[in-house]
Amino acid sequence: MCSGCGAPPVPGHWTDAGGATPADRLRIRAARAQVLGRVLSDHGLRAADGMLVPGLTLSASGGRQVLVPDLDALWSAAERLTGRPVDPLADV
Amino acid sequence: MSDRLRLTILGGFLGAGKTTWLRHQLNEGTYADAHLIVNEAATEPVDDRLLHHPGGLSVIAGGCACCDAADDLRRTLRTLCDDRSAGSGPDEVMLETSGLADPGRIVALIQSDPVLTRHIVLTQIIVLVDAVEGPGRIATESLARAQIAAADQIILTKTDQSSAYELRATLTLLAPGAEVAAAVQGVAIPLPALPPETQPIPIGQDSATPIAAHVLDVSQTDWPGLSVWLSALIHARGRDIMRIKGVVNTPAGPLLLQSVGARMQRPERIEGDAGQLVLIGRGTTRDALNRSLATWTESLT
Repeated sequence: MCSGCGAPPVPGHWTDAGGATPADRLRIRAARAQVLGRVLSDHGLRAADGMLVPGLTLSASGGRQVLVPDLDALWSAAERLTGRPVDPLADV
Repeated sequence: MSDRLRLTILGGFLGAGKTTWLRHQLNEGTYADAHLIVNEAATEPVDDRLLHHPGGLSVIAGGCACCDAADDLRRTLRTLCDDRSAGSGPDEVMLETSGLADPGRIVALIQSDPVLTRHIVLTQIIVLVDAVEGPGRIATESLARAQIAAADQIILTKTDQSSAYELRATLTLLAPGAEVAAAVQGVAIPLPALPPETQPIPIGQDSATPIAAHVLDVSQTDWPGLSVWLSALIHARGRDIMRIKGVVNTPAGPLLLQSVGARMQRPERIEGDAGQLVLIGRGTTRDALNRSLATWTESLT
């Protein structure tokens, strides 16, 4: 944990386990942001990964923003902002 | 050498921690001389890769040993009995069941088989119960209650995450004669005294929909898309998708993924084939899962 900003609050989210090198981890974050951007747009949400800082910023229409440390927190925040979970099986 | 082959059955619901517990026992030297039989509902099992055991190991994959794969279990046990009669077989067998198995049905299978019933003595049925997910499962899954009712010994797992008082009060009702102990990551820990007048978990309405296992080919799915999809899936459907297990390819190498309900365990590096996930639960189909995964990851492929 960084003594300046306190991130990450817990050591290593499971979705970060796929990258062995710093370059891998950056590529995974960029690709993940691409998937999130497309999925969340259907729910009126937007996720931004600043890449140089930890976590993701989740934004809703109306200007509401939440900074989340990982994907678990992101889905919980998305559910709070929209009133329903982002369900991958909802429309299949 | 005793007269008959000693059999211990290790049961417990999906994700209760059976393999984790057994790995620790093997590392400690318990069951060192036993032949292991590992049963998994998946066609491509992974538990046998986690259980390094020189004492011999058989895998029954692609079905539950108490029903779909009962004939496989019967054949495996008969072979062990034959080997033992010929002087080369083990004296002890540890059977790790799938999370969908009812140990009582396995006992019935052995008792009804004219060969097995003469050659095998059942020494103990150990059933693991997840202190976190267990209460919910017991309330709505008759299978979880049947597993507990069959137990000689119940081991509560993940008690570092839950006090499990109501669960323990329920266990004494479901399996009055069973000894109840606790373990975290396989290491036995003492249980605190149960507060008097602790109320058991109310048993609710069992789901009428059967639990099914769906095998997904994720060999061509990139890790970023797969991890986003899985994290959303267990968040939204963790009650219905009870268990996810499999080895997937990532830039860091093959990773073993295991979820229980909405919680994914820390992935573990594992050697061998990768690219298959098994999702066990209800309320969806393999086609729906495949369509959803393809939709979520299409821009990456």
